[in-house]
Amino acid sequence: MGLSTKAVKKSPWVFHVNTGACNNCDIEIVDLLTPRFDVERFGIKLVGSPRHADALLVTGGVTAQAAPRLREVYRQTPKPCVVFAIGACACGKGIFTTGYHMVGPVDKIIREIDPDAIIAYVPGCPPKPEAIISGVVKALAAI
Amino acid sequence: MNNEMQVLFWILVFPGFVFTAVLGLLAAWIVRKVSALVQYRVGPPFLQPFWDVRKLLSKEVLIPQEANKWVFIGAPLVGLAGVLLLSTLLGVAAFWPQKTFVGDVIVAIYLMVLPSLALILGSSASASPHAAVGTAREMKLVMGYELPLVLAFIVVIIKSGGALGLAAIAETTPVASISGAVAFLVSLLCIHAKIGYVPFDMAEAETELGSGVLMEYSGGLLALWNLTSAMMLVALPMFLVVVYLGGFGTTPAGITIGLLKYVGVLVLIILIKNTNPRVRIDQAMRFFWIGCGLVLVTAIALATIGNIYDIGWL
Amino acid sequence: MNQQQLNTRISEIRDKLTAIEQKPDNRIWLSCESENAYAVNKFLFEEVPLRFVIATVIDSDDYFEVLYHYAYDEIGCMVTLKALIRDRENPAIESIAPFLPGAEWIEREMHDLMGIEFRNHPDMRRLILSDDWPVGVYPLRKDAKKPAERPDGEPSRRPTVQSQSPARRTVQLSKPVLPVGPFHPLQEEMELFQLAVDGEIVTDIDMRISYNHRGMEKIAETLQFDQVPFLVSRICGICSASHPLAYVQAVEEFAGITPPDRALYVRTIINELERIHSHILWVGLAGHFIGYDTVFMWAWKYREPVLDLLEEITGNRNNYGNVRIGGCREDIPDELKPKIIAEMDKIEKKMVMLTKAVLDDPVLHVRLKGIGILKKEDAINYCVTGPTARASGVDIDVRRDEPYAAYGVLNWNVITQPEGDVFAKAVVRLLETLEAIKIVKEALVKLPKGPVAIEVKQIPAGEGCGHAEAPRGETFHYVRSDGGNRPVRHKMRAPSYVNVPSFKASCLGGNIADVTITLASVDPCYSCTERLAVVKDRGGKVLHDYETLLKLSREKTEKIRKEIL
Repeated sequence: MGLSTKAVKKSPWVFHVNTGACNNCDIEIVDLLTPRFDVERFGIKLVGSPRHADALLVTGGVTAQAAPRLREVYRQTPKPCVVFAIGACACGKGIFTTGYHMVGPVDKIIREIDPDAIIAYVPGCPPKPEAIISGVVKALAAI
Repeated sequence: MNNEMQVLFWILVFPGFVFTAVLGLLAAWIVRKVSALVQYRVGPPFLQPFWDVRKLLSKEVLIPQEANKWVFIGAPLVGLAGVLLLSTLLGVAAFWPQKTFVGDVIVAIYLMVLPSLALILGSSASASPHAAVGTAREMKLVMGYELPLVLAFIVVIIKSGGALGLAAIAETTPVASISGAVAFLVSLLCIHAKIGYVPFDMAEAETELGSGVLMEYSGGLLALWNLTSAMMLVALPMFLVVVYLGGFGTTPAGITIGLLKYVGVLVLIILIKNTNPRVRIDQAMRFFWIGCGLVLVTAIALATIGNIYDIGWL
Repeated sequence: MNQQQLNTRISEIRDKLTAIEQKPDNRIWLSCESENAYAVNKFLFEEVPLRFVIATVIDSDDYFEVLYHYAYDEIGCMVTLKALIRDRENPAIESIAPFLPGAEWIEREMHDLMGIEFRNHPDMRRLILSDDWPVGVYPLRKDAKKPAERPDGEPSRRPTVQSQSPARRTVQLSKPVLPVGPFHPLQEEMELFQLAVDGEIVTDIDMRISYNHRGMEKIAETLQFDQVPFLVSRICGICSASHPLAYVQAVEEFAGITPPDRALYVRTIINELERIHSHILWVGLAGHFIGYDTVFMWAWKYREPVLDLLEEITGNRNNYGNVRIGGCREDIPDELKPKIIAEMDKIEKKMVMLTKAVLDDPVLHVRLKGIGILKKEDAINYCVTGPTARASGVDIDVRRDEPYAAYGVLNWNVITQPEGDVFAKAVVRLLETLEAIKIVKEALVKLPKGPVAIEVKQIPAGEGCGHAEAPRGETFHYVRSDGGNRPVRHKMRAPSYVNVPSFKASCLGGNIADVTITLASVDPCYSCTERLAVVKDRGGKVLHDYETLLKLSREKTEKIRKEIL
């Protein structure tokens, strides 16, 4: 493992992208920052611009209006970066599968522009914060 | 060691780049850790700021299409150079008092503006509307706090009997008088605004402007900004210690006490950061110009009276 | 006005109506032809006056029905006007948005989804469908293609910034435009506000939604009655108790089902726990928005035990899925009662401290007072609901106006504030949290014995309206059944749908730094918004003015402190 990889693992900065989620996963993601879960312990930091990010936390099954924006955010994120599909919707559109306005799921949209993208899945509705942390840790260990 | 080599050593190793960067990143860790503790959290691990910078250095650098490329890349270098020279100047004044030159304190005040100016340059070169609003705020803020900073400094000069050298000023402790204490507190707030912490972080206000001025920076260039702001955490409180709190001294005991003074200033900064909401730029301007301005004019008057009638505690 | 007087008042316009029906007592159903709809609506909104809730359009094979839902909050009565559009080829009706700004969005939405033309609408741009959605494809029509398929047709990219209708105020592109969104740290969700800025001053605002539109009303038509609550609890994660409740109440109303008493209390408790965690969440986020991260962290720390309780009762921290037609799925075990009461006491102590800290913090006063004022007239015209309305002195609260669950028998107060600024909204939410804690404790003590649900065999044909007070305001659900096992039409309206458009009234002329907290102060929820509806109220009265309220709150703080010591 090179020093660069190790540095990414020690300091993963994440940017949060909602592509049509019901807010639950998003709240749980924000919850990760707060005292009970405090992911700053692992050097994880939520940043305000995709240009600063190492990982995208994507929630929601990707609506037609959101898809182009998701692609744009992915393009703006400096590589290497990991895409996390958080929640049932992001992993496979969930309960909204039959919706006429849904074009996802997340991996399909991302792979359209980057077939080699690194995508990790954290299912659940919503996944518990512990599950999200565990997902991020496992994905980082797999790099 | 000949003279050039020694200057190079000062700038690159001690008290310049290596020393300031390491100490600065440590200070950045302390700020984050103490903030976390105040917020009932555990906070980041010890070496976190080092890993952050190391990681950013290995990331891709994206330059916006519409950006002015050379200014965009050059600005963080200028900022870093500014804070580097500032910390060198202060360190030399503190540890090799005989090597300083007359008027270095003026140079120091100029150097302190440099990182802010670089930030304004860099963000206005990035062609992002959020950065543009951030730039406008940063400019107003610079204009806001420079006036009280200089006014406060006049108090120091009066107190030290017209000395214009850092080493000479460091031998006095202006804070031990009413006017000096007032000047110190105002300068502390100005320094706080220079570092860009809450309540004066409107230029980078994450929830209003993305990351504002730094929004378009990524990878190594962002690492330079991180490093610059970490080094500011060393240089600016050190400036306060040298100018207001009697400096470091050259004996081991003096250095220890000096370091304690530095930590004290840092703690004050962290406290202010964590107990205040962000203010609006117009409120900040009013505060710096009218509030601090009036207070400082009074302080200058007091200091002058104290000087004429030889009353030390005024 | 009592029910009798309201009926008399409405019958004044009898000659323009084709039918008046009353079933049950507090639901009035009016019918008219589309030509008369404008006049009747104007009468209902301006003369009676009623609060506009939302409009629904239904595709009934050979004609379209546009349903205008109104509420008369004083006696908790809902009035629905059905306007029939018989021309299926070119369905058109007169717009009511010119005199009722709160109807602007819903008319745009009906145009998007059903293809109804609204004549004289001030700003008929695309609202809810994506930019590349083909023109002429209306997904909610019964003859639309199966929802899973993407419709084909010419993609059209309609401008989102400039209006096609010149009459409408639009964002001037000559001025700098500051986009807030679609991804913005201010909100967890996507939305796009385009702020025209002059220096730091906001001169115009334009909103674009659709990012979060998931087409739930169509999905609901494919689900069975008992499955729908799971869908609607996912309208919005933080209102995931109130949406299913409103839906279930609508169905229970026309199916004539009365759930057992214990279920009503359990519903109350779950809903109030939700309100507590939602309001604490808002306080934290509001702190975060103005850069006060310490408040953010502390508030969210206090919120965690509430989520633990909800998890213990329902099995999930969010998306409880607890309410069902005829009762509740999970009971509150009696052995859990002391634990809940103990937790409530702890949270109350912390919230009293936090409330006091906020009310006494001079910096917060400077920062939040007089900022983003939503005047009472605007609040009424934009038909806002919930804390947003109550902080502007509009005294409405479904829990009191049309008591559902166990609210009618419990002892609690509606909090109102006259100022309409961000500070008032914060005060309303903080004090409401304390009220909610009170409700939970009282409901637990009074919790009756018995079953928590009854067996429901069949849902008959019919239609019903249900509404409930979510943390953000009134959620409204309209359900129509043809006697089958799926709804033929299910209209959902979340509070943010009416609260968000009021930004036009509260943000203009403000500072950019203030706009963010103003936007946040209505606690917008975009996943909710992209379901839809609107409300209107006129005769709101001020319960307390600010001084007495602050006095009340301080007295209460003092009292509680004494009790603790």
